[in-house]
Amino acid sequence: MGSQTQSKADQPWRRWIAERTPQLILVPTIGATLIYVVGFSLWTFWLSLSTSTILPDPTFAGFHEYVALWKSKRWIVSFQNLFLFGSLYVAGALFVGTLLAILIDQRVRFEAVWRTIYLYPLAISFIVTGTVWRWIFHPQTGVELALKDLGWIGAKFDWITDRDLAIYVVVITGIWHASGFAMALILAGLRAVDGDLVKAAQIDGASMARTYRKVILPVIWPIFLAVAIVLLQFAIKTYDLVVALTQGGPGVSTTVPAIVVYDLMFQRGQIAQGAAAAVMILVALAAVLIPYTLFMIWRRRQEGNQHG
Amino acid sequence: MSRNVSTTRRSVVTIAAWGIGFLIFFPILWTILTSFKTEGEAIASPPSFLFFDWTLDSYREVNSRSDYPRHFWNSVVISFGSTFLGLLIAIPAAWAMAFVPGKRTKDVLMWMLSTKMMPSVGVLIPMYLMFRDFGLLDTRTGLVIVLTLINLPIIVWMLYTYFREIPGEILEAARMDGASLRSELIYVLTPMAVPGIASTLLLNVILSWNEAFWTLNLTAANAAPLTAFIASYSSPEGLFYAKLSAASTMAIAPILILGWFSQKQLVRGLTFGAVK
Repeated sequence: MGSQTQSKADQPWRRWIAERTPQLILVPTIGATLIYVVGFSLWTFWLSLSTSTILPDPTFAGFHEYVALWKSKRWIVSFQNLFLFGSLYVAGALFVGTLLAILIDQRVRFEAVWRTIYLYPLAISFIVTGTVWRWIFHPQTGVELALKDLGWIGAKFDWITDRDLAIYVVVITGIWHASGFAMALILAGLRAVDGDLVKAAQIDGASMARTYRKVILPVIWPIFLAVAIVLLQFAIKTYDLVVALTQGGPGVSTTVPAIVVYDLMFQRGQIAQGAAAAVMILVALAAVLIPYTLFMIWRRRQEGNQHG
Repeated sequence: MSRNVSTTRRSVVTIAAWGIGFLIFFPILWTILTSFKTEGEAIASPPSFLFFDWTLDSYREVNSRSDYPRHFWNSVVISFGSTFLGLLIAIPAAWAMAFVPGKRTKDVLMWMLSTKMMPSVGVLIPMYLMFRDFGLLDTRTGLVIVLTLINLPIIVWMLYTYFREIPGEILEAARMDGASLRSELIYVLTPMAVPGIASTLLLNVILSWNEAFWTLNLTAANAAPLTAFIASYSSPEGLFYAKLSAASTMAIAPILILGWFSQKQLVRGLTFGAVK
């Protein structure tokens, strides 16, 4: 009987399966991700080259829709907003996050509690965040009203209804949402800094502010870069925050690219142009991720050379 | 880094942390407080901070008028459904990557993680067309499938970082003793990985609970979860702040409470495993 099981196990295909099990297990996960990411992106690209309107239509039209897209004022505004919002949001969240991290690094009592509270905004959906902050920014209900109640009759804070300033409302709300994320990662970085380095700076008589600025923060720059990349891709994706906060208004002043795609697809029935806009968003993301990836690979090689 | 800090400075810093914490938490606190006011008090000028007649009217009204329980239930089914389905697929995959790594495992993992950065809007149109053809629009099944797909990379990544902390020798010993792959996964790995699986579950439930891009675009009245419900509630320049606050409070309360009792997991999860 022993020999029988042996011969069964010796069958080549069984052994092949046994040896390949770890790889085979990965097939569904990788397959699903491949189809979702690569397959559907290519499908979007293909649609963007067609003449589809309300229904998909396979007639090839070349880059016609891209040209039309870049001629539309709304799309250009949305892309400008993406740059403005993206840069201020990332810079703001990094700045506030660094301050919070340094604060907590001073051995605050109940540290875990503060860390959790600073992170809470991140755990709240963009929809609720936008809804609450719209209320705060609305002249008749929020900050302006509160200032008037405090006796400042001439108080004025109506950015959310101002075409030129409404985008900054989105920026502030975004920073509130993301600062805790930056804080948590930067704090972890601060804690990992070599204690001897800090002591050496202090023995040299550097003040605390100077120690942070000149010694500690420069050491952890890769963390800043990583946080910036994660936040940038959040910015490129931004959709629900703006929907809940300003609905892209007033006018089209706070429109972002994702809202334009939605609008072309569902409100105007222009599938091809919507697909073209979606492809442009993917290109924007690639413009951030590819240089970062190449840079990281280059850096790893450099380090490898130094150690080797 | 650790430094010697005087008691006075520590107190000052603690007070600053209190102040900033309060400032950050204020919008949330204000929403929660407003949900217990009447509509009149909600927009009263000057606003009452704590001293008003606490009432549950807004909650009652939201519950009776707007099918709130159904939306809540949709949120629960969609977020937990997609999380469990995701774990089912991801646990074996993360096992393979962590304990039987190949030459390309790290690259595959990084590639998978990077796909999480892809904006959903990039695949909205094909997804919508497929959903329409398969009759999945406005169904919970459809949303469970989409959310599983978009969160799968993050689940695999989180599990991988946890699995890496488990000594592989224990699994090897089980294999030597003749455990089959299935029993190795179910009886040896899973019990040891419970904390890791729990935080992955928490993170993924939060992500799916908050997800709004797909829920806004692929659901209508039937399968809409809380995010879509609140978005619809607030759209016609809502003047009903007390009710809106009640709905928002009900939407965020489960997350805040869950997060409070598992702070460590919350931090690790929300930073994608980077902060331990």
